[in-house]
Amino acid sequence: MNGDKFRKIAALALLGALPAASALAQPVGDAARGRELVEQNCIACHGVDGNGPVPSFPKVAGLHYEYTIKQLHEFQGKRRPSEIMQPIAAVLTEQQVQDVALYFASQRAVPVDTVDASLLPLGRKLYEDGNSDSGVPACAGCHGTEGRGNARFPRLAGQFQEYVVAQIQQFAEGKRTNDKRMMQVIANRLTAEEVQAVAHYIASMP
Amino acid sequence: MKRFLIVALTGAVLSGAALAQQGKAGDYVWNAPDPEKDRALAHKADPVAGKVAYEVCRGCHRADASGRADAIYPQLAGQHTTVLIKQLVDVRAGRRHNPKMEPFVSAEVLSAEDIGNIASYLALLPTPTNNGKGDGSKLALGERLYRENCVRCHGNYGEGSAQAFYPVVASQHYEYLFKELQMIRDGERRNSYPEMVQVIKGYGDDELRALSDYMSRLVLPANR
Ligand code: HEC
Ligand code: HEC
Ligand code: HEC
Ligand code: HEC
Repeated sequence: MNGDKFRKIAALALLGALPAASALAQPVGDAARGRELVEQNCIACHGVDGNGPVPSFPKVAGLHYEYTIKQLHEFQGKRRPSEIMQPIAAVLTEQQVQDVALYFASQRAVPVDTVDASLLPLGRKLYEDGNSDSGVPACAGCHGTEGRGNARFPRLAGQFQEYVVAQIQQFAEGKRTNDKRMMQVIANRLTAEEVQAVAHYIASMP
Repeated sequence: MKRFLIVALTGAVLSGAALAQQGKAGDYVWNAPDPEKDRALAHKADPVAGKVAYEVCRGCHRADASGRADAIYPQLAGQHTTVLIKQLVDVRAGRRHNPKMEPFVSAEVLSAEDIGNIASYLALLPTPTNNGKGDGSKLALGERLYRENCVRCHGNYGEGSAQAFYPVVASQHYEYLFKELQMIRDGERRNSYPEMVQVIKGYGDDELRALSDYMSRLVLPANR
């Protein structure tokens, strides 16, 4: 009995101390080369620091390295739809994909200041607590309590509300399907009002 | 720690097959062999990888796996690996109905090995005791019924049995326990243990509430 207890405590200590398995993979690429590419090919829509000038183009600042690479590969392979991004991604070499991924990961997203404050309480509730009646899990569960995301789940904090709404729409309609069906299910459980509220809350997150 | 888990799991697989024989009701065999379940049970579980895989569950069962008293999301922390594995595989195979959760535990999201890893992680977590409880009005009745009819499988402290796939019921949310007991009694939880169904068949809702309240207040011994 005491031996078991000791092992349980030792195992718990181990769990706290070890980094997540995904954090162990060493990213490859060159952020400085990535920045040069962004200045030439991406700046008009995503801005030089990844905080794009126009809300219809997503912020890419602070996206995780693995996530950016996955999205660019999926645009290249037409597994994620976008008439705009597919041809842009198609001409990138693997080296360039890694370089921009490293560069985006090194940039800081700034929160949006044009949010509707009246929507924030409901948005926050959904983000932190979900809606258990309809089976919407808390967004924080996967995307992190502060919206920082990780290698598997994208960063959301500070993203434009227009882009968030548009992506949730794509998930709900089954047009974006690179999510192992999880976001498609969640998008279909959200009401139109909830989508607006949570999108504004996400945009406001620092 | 790993060796301990493997020994425990191997023991569980063996006795699981034997126990399935006692769980027959008509054509239904409780805990019948299932290739996916057997893979998850036999997998050399890695709780660190399990913690990462558990991320997709946190939005409902919460980061500390304490669940939610109000939403009927059960507490998972400290549940036996064998029980967790069986229940997840049952949901995937359609033997236990859980439409809210099903898309998040599908084969697209989790491999059998992920299930084994998650279970080993959850089993190590301490079970919180600030769970949802009943109104305390029928604890004596609950205690009497539990001692008479449930203790032989679920244990003095509600600790169940990892070997036998009997769930921990101690410190579980009251509303969840009550809902499960109703479903088990009424034949709506299709993966139930036939012998247990026999035991609670004649109970009214009042008795199920008394039992649920009593179990929600049981606390696992510290040195389990
Ligand atoms: C003409 C405008 C435009 C240019 C130029 C552009 N993008 Fe995009 N980008 C978009 C749009 C629009 C989307 C959102 C696509 C959708 O609707 O899903 C997007 C999405 C992305 C995403 C996914 C973001 C996320 O959060 O999922 C990445 C990564 C990305 N772009 C990288 C790049 C890179 C790298 C370049 C330069 C090589 C680039 N983009 C150039 C318009 C542009
Ligand atoms: C069970 C895990 C999970 C939960 C909970 C979850 N998401 Fe997601 N989310 C994902 C996955 C997986 C993706 C897609 C990852 C990919 O493309 O590789 C995603 C992508 C997204 C995107 C697209 C981001 C981008 O940059 O293109 C948005 C927006 C989003 N989620 C919003 C939400 C909101 C709002 C909630 C809460 C109501 C939520 N998510 C809850 C797993 C989750
Ligand atoms: C959308 C919310 C949601 C998500 C996400 C979710 N669950 Fe559940 N889970 C539930 C609900 C609701 C129940 C109770 C169902 C019932 O009433 O029988 C449950 C029950 C369970 C049970 C049965 C517990 C018992 O005592 O019998 C297990 C095990 C479980 N979940 C594990 C998981 C794991 C592991 C994950 C992630 C891989 C997960 N759940 C993700 C909602 C969820
Ligand atoms: C002969 C053994 C046995 C007896 C006696 C028994 N149970 Fe069970 N009980 C089980 C098994 C096995 C399961 C899990 C069934 C499955 O695989 O889903 C279970 C499941 C449960 C659950 C669901 C737990 C969860 O996490 O979902 C509750 C609650 C419960 N029992 C309460 C009781 C109560 C109360 C009594 C006495 C009135 C009782 N049981 C008597 C074997 C027994």
